[in-house]
Amino acid sequence: MKKLITAFGLALLITGCNATTPEKPASMKAQYEVALKNAQAAVEKAAAVDGEWRDIRWKKSKKRYLPSAIKAAEAGDYKKALKLLEIATFQAEAGYKQAMEQKNAGPRF
Amino acid sequence: MKKILTLLLSAGLVATATQAVSSPKEDLEKFRMYYEQRFPGIQLDDFGNGPYALDASKRLQWESMEEFPPYEDYIDKGSEIWETPFKNGKSFASCFGKDPSKVRVKYPHWDKASSQVVTLEGDINKCLKDNGEKPFGWKKGKIAHLGAFLGYEARGQKINVVIPDDPKALEAYEEGKHFYYAKRGQLNLACADCHIQYPGHRVRGQLLSTGLGQTTHFPVFRAKWSKAAANSDGMGTLHRRYGGCNKQVRARPFKAQSRQYRNLEFFHTYMSNGLAINAPGYRE
Ligand code: HEC
Repeated sequence: MKKLITAFGLALLITGCNATTPEKPASMKAQYEVALKNAQAAVEKAAAVDGEWRDIRWKKSKKRYLPSAIKAAEAGDYKKALKLLEIATFQAEAGYKQAMEQKNAGPRF
Repeated sequence: MKKILTLLLSAGLVATATQAVSSPKEDLEKFRMYYEQRFPGIQLDDFGNGPYALDASKRLQWESMEEFPPYEDYIDKGSEIWETPFKNGKSFASCFGKDPSKVRVKYPHWDKASSQVVTLEGDINKCLKDNGEKPFGWKKGKIAHLGAFLGYEARGQKINVVIPDDPKALEAYEEGKHFYYAKRGQLNLACADCHIQYPGHRVRGQLLSTGLGQTTHFPVFRAKWSKAAANSDGMGTLHRRYGGCNKQVRARPFKAQSRQYRNLEFFHTYMSNGLAINAPGYRE
């Protein structure tokens, strides 16, 4: 019985370990590259309908999620880069959606 | 089948109902009536004084400021710019006519030849380029000084923007109108939300002005811009202000003199037709 539990525990430990082992830099990089393409496409799509938000890439924004993500990736911090791209993509998609919803906006008092 | 038809029909009805556009004239009547009903004691021209028309104590501060207005030096600078000949011997009068008091009231206007809205700033820089001079920056500095001078010379004349009955001009007007009413940015707010729904209320300590009369006093001297400038020049153009109001709702601002802002200016200034020009103005 004791043996079983130990074996079980060991198994848990191994799988648990596996799950938290940081991914190899190469695969993070690949993930980043896909995410970057997605983010850039989403931003262009929002910009095309005049729906881009301030902090995605505008030069005077203090946040500049998209260029900051690229910078982080260049410095090898793919984890940070992916986080920033996630925000940039979310904001770009939200800006596009907003512009679509506002398509028929007109006088209201 | 019947169900689907009814659905389609009603959807069609809704679509036509939302697309039915009102004429500029109807828009203007409703716009003005709204403010006149909301602020019954205020004279039409007084809306051109922005927040100072809405709050008695702010008005007192402002009136004492107007005794020695900080924009005065910039009117003088603008006058100098107007008088100073270009390298080719000509001057701004060769583009705008000899009488500087007759310039401001012509803008913005629809230009049929180029199918676009032309602004005073646009024509100032066009004049410079046509004469082999370097154009001014778009938002502050010399362009605002010259604008201040031309506005001052035109004080008292009525805003009179014409929206010609030309499909392209109407399209530009509609785009500007849409811009004013469409929510944007992370804060999801339209110009109309602040300047139509909440004039007289405070946002971050600032008293919101009415959309009516919002363009009559531009370019403006803003204390905030003055504080931020190394040379304390607080003058700025209307499009500089547009950028500021887009930024504060966390939308990416458009470039000064972009199509978007020129069309917005077309609509926005038309809404103040009949109000007196009182440029340049002073604002916090
Ligand atoms: C979050 C609220 C808000 C929104 C949205 C907003 N503004 Fe403003 N705006 C302000 C505040 C605050 C001021 C400074 C006080 C004032 O003059 O109303 C201001 C000032 C202005 C002024 C200068 C008024 C003057 O008397 O000098 C103009 C013009 C203006 N806004 C235009 C716009 C336009 C056009 C939009 C849409 C693109 C817009 N604003 C959207 C808050 C807002």
